Amino acid sequence: MSQMTRRDLIKIFGASAVASTGLFGASKAAYANNAAHIVVVGGGIGGASFAKYMRLMNADVKITIIEPKAEYIFCPGSNEIFSGHETLENLTVNYKTLKNRFKIDVVQDVATEINYEKHEIATLKSGKIAYDKLVVSPGPEFVYDFVDGYNAELAEGDFPHAWKTGPQTMKLKQQMESMRQGGTILISSPRMPYRCPPAPYERASFMAAALEKNNPTAKILIMDSKDNYVFREHFEHYWKDKHGFGTADSRIEWVPANKGGTIAKLDAANKTVTTENGDIIKADVINIITEERAGRFASANGLTDKTGWVPFEPKTFSSLISPDVYVMGDMVGANMPKTGYIASNQGKVIATAIDDLLAGREPGTPFITNNCVAMAGEDFGMTITATFRYTGEGKGYSVQERRSAVTDNPHTNRIRAEVAKNWQRTFRKDMFS
Amino acid sequence: MKKTILLKGFALALLSLSTLSFAIEYKETPVHTEFELSVEEEKRIIAAFPMPTGKMLADNCSACHGTLGAEFNEAMPPLAGMKAENFVKLMKDYRSNAFPSIVMHDVAYVFTDEEIQAMADYFAAQDAVQWTQPDFQGVN
Repeated sequence: MSQMTRRDLIKIFGASAVASTGLFGASKAAYANNAAHIVVVGGGIGGASFAKYMRLMNADVKITIIEPKAEYIFCPGSNEIFSGHETLENLTVNYKTLKNRFKIDVVQDVATEINYEKHEIATLKSGKIAYDKLVVSPGPEFVYDFVDGYNAELAEGDFPHAWKTGPQTMKLKQQMESMRQGGTILISSPRMPYRCPPAPYERASFMAAALEKNNPTAKILIMDSKDNYVFREHFEHYWKDKHGFGTADSRIEWVPANKGGTIAKLDAANKTVTTENGDIIKADVINIITEERAGRFASANGLTDKTGWVPFEPKTFSSLISPDVYVMGDMVGANMPKTGYIASNQGKVIATAIDDLLAGREPGTPFITNNCVAMAGEDFGMTITATFRYTGEGKGYSVQERRSAVTDNPHTNRIRAEVAKNWQRTFRKDMFS
Repeated sequence: MKKTILLKGFALALLSLSTLSFAIEYKETPVHTEFELSVEEEKRIIAAFPMPTGKMLADNCSACHGTLGAEFNEAMPPLAGMKAENFVKLMKDYRSNAFPSIVMHDVAYVFTDEEIQAMADYFAAQDAVQWTQPDFQGVN
């Protein structure tokens, strides 16, 4: 099958049959020794989006993803796990469709070192892989040192950050569910930039929905390292309505940085945190959401600059270190939020640029949106639309942004939530089907 | 034939969304954030570079409307195979807020006439066939 061309299949099955199977695999040329080889580091949203859209544009290239895990678990939708509206299984996808439908090689391994001169990428088990173009999308590295006493081991144990969907998410859910009646969950929300900016408040909302049913006197304390956050007016509107926000009995309390919300220290043995102001707070469940930076792969390979993020040429997202290396997602120092939506669209921009360059064309003008959604409950959604237009070499992108208005209309809020869920499903399919 | 049925379904879905919106006297006032461009600034940026291709613009729609606009199993309407003139009319109505919607007014306001036409032509050229195959290993 893999050696067949589209034309061969048309001969056998007829054009309509081929069209209706939506065949977008590789051509014979993609298996030739002289086919351009595009290697992708990381099979998350950014890497998968790039690889799939690269294949849709070009049947003649060889595409390889290097990804350590056999499955990918989506973060969008994961906060609903806390209220039981979503499951880990629903958010999990594998690489079969990328392999079988789009003829993308997926090497289950860890990429280690780029040899820029030889155009080779080293891996732990699979040796060196030669590339013509390398696309780097390994995701962020979680940073613990902003809270004294917090570390990766504690996060894997009794203090899950659950900032990547997986076992830590389930551990945090279990801690919430087994908490004593009237207990307190403390969520520490980090400074910008981090993934999906409304996610800590979305998490608090879905935890509150669970507590309302099973532990109605319990509290959620959001300790914030910022003075404000996106969609605050929406979240507070909903919390006032459902959780008594602003009253003495509120199920959710929010402490901004300017009122002592920044956490400085964790005492794991006593289950307390200490704020920058020296206040000591005891909680039954402590969920410190980490800060993040470009990962070790990026820094070890010299892709980062002194800001800790990865600089890039904005038209094509090629690295300033090597023009045949492209960078994307959480690690780049772009004036864009670190959302999956953004990563998916950066992937499409890179695919288009590489397709143009391989054909000897000047890459066209990029265009990126982040038209995103969040929820404060199963019946309350909100939307944000951001548009990023290219403003020139060495400059970057302009930003235009709008948010949905706060409304008392329950139907509007419900439809926005349905739009959010629709987005989550379609987004997963757009990357992996 | 299949295409006609699918597009009829799309029109129905759109109609139900729109009547619902009108029935609850839906009004939407744009909420600006700190990221706002003046009209002049926006014009200058758009004029300074060649227009992004219809594909570049339209591929931004896929997270909601499916790859190549071909998600036919969801409430958000598919765009693949849509008549270009219908796409253009709808987008311009969303852009001017003449057609109240849940989110499309906030999506459409950034696009020029030429960009809307380019996206319309792109989607009109796509097969109106469900993108995701039954053997997709994720959960639909």
